[in-house]
Amino acid sequence: MSNWNILWKFGGILLLAYVILRGFCTPLQPGLVEATPDRLGPGPATLELMAVGRPFAEEGSSLEGYRLILRSGTDLITTNLTGVSPHGVQAEATIPDRLPSPALDAFLLPPSSGTLFLGNAFFVEGAATGTIPVELASKAPDETIPDLGFSFPFQPNIMESIRNLLWHVPMWFAMFFVMGIGFVASLMQLRTDAVNWDHRAEAAVRTGLVFGILGLATGSLWARWTWGAWWVSDPQLNGALVTVLLYTGYLILRAAMGEDERVGRIAAVYNVFAFVMLVILLMVLPRYTDSLHPGKDGNPGFNSYDLDNSLRAVFYPAVIGWGALCYWMYTLRLRINRMEHRLLTQ
Amino acid sequence: MRTGFHSTMRTAGTVAAMEWRLEWRQGHQLASVGLFALSSVYVAFQAASRDLPPDAWTAMLWLVYLFSGFTAVGRLFDRERSDTRRYLQWTVDPLGLMLGKLAHAILTTTGLSAIVLCGFLLFLGWPAGDSDRTGLVILATWLGGLSMTTTLVFVAAVASQVKAGGSALGAILGLPLLIPQLILATRMTLGALEDTPWPMLEEIPLFLMALSAGTGVIACILFPYIWRA
Repeated sequence: MSNWNILWKFGGILLLAYVILRGFCTPLQPGLVEATPDRLGPGPATLELMAVGRPFAEEGSSLEGYRLILRSGTDLITTNLTGVSPHGVQAEATIPDRLPSPALDAFLLPPSSGTLFLGNAFFVEGAATGTIPVELASKAPDETIPDLGFSFPFQPNIMESIRNLLWHVPMWFAMFFVMGIGFVASLMQLRTDAVNWDHRAEAAVRTGLVFGILGLATGSLWARWTWGAWWVSDPQLNGALVTVLLYTGYLILRAAMGEDERVGRIAAVYNVFAFVMLVILLMVLPRYTDSLHPGKDGNPGFNSYDLDNSLRAVFYPAVIGWGALCYWMYTLRLRINRMEHRLLTQ
Repeated sequence: MRTGFHSTMRTAGTVAAMEWRLEWRQGHQLASVGLFALSSVYVAFQAASRDLPPDAWTAMLWLVYLFSGFTAVGRLFDRERSDTRRYLQWTVDPLGLMLGKLAHAILTTTGLSAIVLCGFLLFLGWPAGDSDRTGLVILATWLGGLSMTTTLVFVAAVASQVKAGGSALGAILGLPLLIPQLILATRMTLGALEDTPWPMLEEIPLFLMALSAGTGVIACILFPYIWRA
């Protein structure tokens, strides 16, 4: 039994160490972030595109195999690459005076690392509407199977902050997990009236609250980066905040009841109510309303297409690692509760 | 103590009728709630002009209604704090008692919503812009009040178990619990005032009813445990 204890505790810590190392050291897949100039006129133009993430080219490498294609509507425009560096590409192109759409998307096709895409990279002013001339059209690129190596996916807007997935999401999972323990403990407390279950429920809520606050903090950081504000009014965020406030209410209720011997029962009643509200607020209501939070269509977390295999290889260990740490914290708090109880009743 | 569907319902009816009769005889309690509501409306009227924009109107309406609701429902279990409680504990079916209290509280907040809405129309008038969806505004106020009441009844029952400072605790525990209901209710009221098309609003009444039913049912399931504590 004690071997098993050592195994899961240190296993969890090892997993977390792996998650932090892998999470911060894995490069991001390359992605295009900025195009200059953002406004073009018909005629010859010099284009520059900035890239971030894992370098897709070496300094001064040859242009062999690289292609840059612009897309307007469904028509493709050919370009001449003039320079490739780890931080971007330069190209020359002739912008036709007839275009299906003034907004140009850019596709950069390096020989190895998959297509890089930037939507609405350039905007053309002063061009008529129509199909582009044949001599400027590009043929569609061949399908290639990219060799991406071990790297995290590049998502526009999210970019490097995708690493927060390994903190924010597992922290909420850990909170659900330990609040679930508290819910079961409170139900048992109501059935048996044994003080042991009350200790469990209190320890669970206290630990869960720590992870809930951490989840709010990491989520707020993420919101600042991707949505531009520390906090927005959104069903998922409202639910998360109300949940944390609810469980703070649990601790306030306990504190207000003090040494009253009915505290276990009343707190258990409140805790059962709070957990039902948690399920409604975080798992039911957000599914039926529009939200900025990822994966709104029937899933308040994230969609499977947001995770690629390299991210999964770190995300699942993160879930287990944070869960183990959370459970460890819960057992420590439980021991403190039991010791306090023993001291007070002696 | 008798249990079973019929006698529980009879207990509920008796409790509701008794509550109502007591309130009526001790007129000052009903009057104090009405006074609180009307004077809050009057303060809102003094602070704001007529022809408020709909969002400010909605915010004021719900703030006044929320705090009046707290004063009306928050003291629902005050009578059971005393020694009568020990007598009731052995003679009254807790489920029946809870249902009676719920019925009484819903009636009270329904009356309260009428007072607050009439007060608003009398002093502040309708908000700017001509919406003629009076029925929808009334429905939003009533449904929001319903879900507010079921939650507050539960919170009042929990807070009544705390020996010192129970009513303050009721407000502290109740406010966070009411945020989701208030978000839905204000969105529906605002939608009605701003002529938001019905298909964009039709889910909100369902959510509010589901929340009311859910919190009411949990309160009824959990109340016997509080009662016998």
